[in-house]
Amino acid sequence: MSDKNSVPDKKPDPAQTLGERLAERGVSRRSFLKFASYTASIMALPPTAATAIAQGLANARRQSVIWLSFQECTGCTESITRAHTPSIEDLIFDFISLDYHHTLQNASGHAAEAARETAMKENAGEYIVVVDGSVPLKDDGIYSTIAGISNLQMLEETVRDAFAVIAVGSCATFGGIPGANPNPTGAVPISEIITDKPVINISGCPPIPEAMTGTVAYLLSFGAIPELDHLGRPRAFFGEAIHDRCYRRPFYERGMFAKSFDDAGARQGWCLYEVGCKGPVTYNACATLKWNGGVSFPIQSGHGCLGCSEPGFWDLGGFYKPLSTAKNDPLKWAAGAAAVGAAVGAASAMAARNLRKKSLKAAAAAAPKAAAEEKE
Amino acid sequence: MAERGGSCLDGQATGMAWSVLAEVGRLLEELANRGQTASIDLRSLPLTDADRTELEALLGRGEVRVELDLAGRSEIWETGYPGAWWIRHRGAGDRISSEEIAVCPVPEILATHPADIEAAARRLCRTLRESGPAAAAELSETQLETSHV
Repeated sequence: MSDKNSVPDKKPDPAQTLGERLAERGVSRRSFLKFASYTASIMALPPTAATAIAQGLANARRQSVIWLSFQECTGCTESITRAHTPSIEDLIFDFISLDYHHTLQNASGHAAEAARETAMKENAGEYIVVVDGSVPLKDDGIYSTIAGISNLQMLEETVRDAFAVIAVGSCATFGGIPGANPNPTGAVPISEIITDKPVINISGCPPIPEAMTGTVAYLLSFGAIPELDHLGRPRAFFGEAIHDRCYRRPFYERGMFAKSFDDAGARQGWCLYEVGCKGPVTYNACATLKWNGGVSFPIQSGHGCLGCSEPGFWDLGGFYKPLSTAKNDPLKWAAGAAAVGAAVGAASAMAARNLRKKSLKAAAAAAPKAAAEEKE
Repeated sequence: MAERGGSCLDGQATGMAWSVLAEVGRLLEELANRGQTASIDLRSLPLTDADRTELEALLGRGEVRVELDLAGRSEIWETGYPGAWWIRHRGAGDRISSEEIAVCPVPEILATHPADIEAAARRLCRTLRESGPAAAAELSETQLETSHV
């Protein structure tokens, strides 16, 4: 008798749908529906969208994914491959065929590059390119090369026939730490190089795993790109400031702030705004999806948000400096209002929004200028 | 609920349970009058642990309770208001991955998908062909012949 859970040893038929493919392994359509309910929930879609997601996934072909790693630390890969017991969240790895990934693939050297070229040829126009890491442009990009070619060459070559590009992590989305002042390698984000294809930015250092897998699941289910914000990030994960969904928000509204990490306020879980939390200017889903399978997130562990999913977070003036005393001091008046308790909430929020606009404008202005200088 | 943990409001009921209950009532009316099914995603609502416990108690338990074992555990039960189902899916580490109240005659996930029925029919036919009584009889005859040789 055949074992319904056995994995067939034959090479998968590329025309096979995901539904057929997983049915061979004993994965029922109920599992699709469960995964779809989970995806709809994390992407803030109506629960009724689960049926459409499940149907879309079951009828989709296994998606070829080419993952390029440039100036990065592999933290993004660590995040997406977080070690858990096989579960509904991991089904995404059955939906994709990861055809090229330095860290995860068995092949190396010429064989690895051949795998990338084969995937590009066999799935022309349909494959997804995921990029983590920024691309150095200074001195013809010699600061990071793979297989004898610069990151820029590899990116342009690989993206040419791609269906979509997903930039994961703050290095690929905004330049990140390699792009921090003084940006010695002339690092730029992917969206600055690829302008003729849709680039989805999933920022964070690293990004939340669900933001990456949820976006891929959406692409597979609907064959379309989810709604993005002005920085090219899926609104489902980056639509709200961490501060807006933070469980410590009621203390902020009441003007109850920890003044240091070991004072009575910190011990009682008061707001970490005055010890440098960047939650008010950081858009991400840490406060709702959390980390390590929903266990906690930095603020819940007693540390302020670093703002890692925002452009130029490394140069925002210090992780432990409150926003209100940062350079140019746009929140000075708001800090003064802290003394009057609840008034600080509305004032700080407004000022924080202004600061965010300023920092985004500065980042947007600085990036092309830096790139132009490097090109010269 | 400890696994959501950490909120300073977790011990306090905010009244949200009654708001959700009113919404369930409205959706049940829609189902009764127009056959319209709907769902409420509980994870998207700012419910405290106390709210959730209160809502569960207010809705109560009905006649049906189902446990599914697919890529983690799932629990589904009909509430004390027939047509309103509580669906709780668990993922890694048995943590809740999604939770909703579905207002429908039967939750979709309980019905067997036609593709699974087709696959089941094929699999059972193959099993009967390969390991059923006819196959066993054929095998015995072969063994008998072999032993004679």
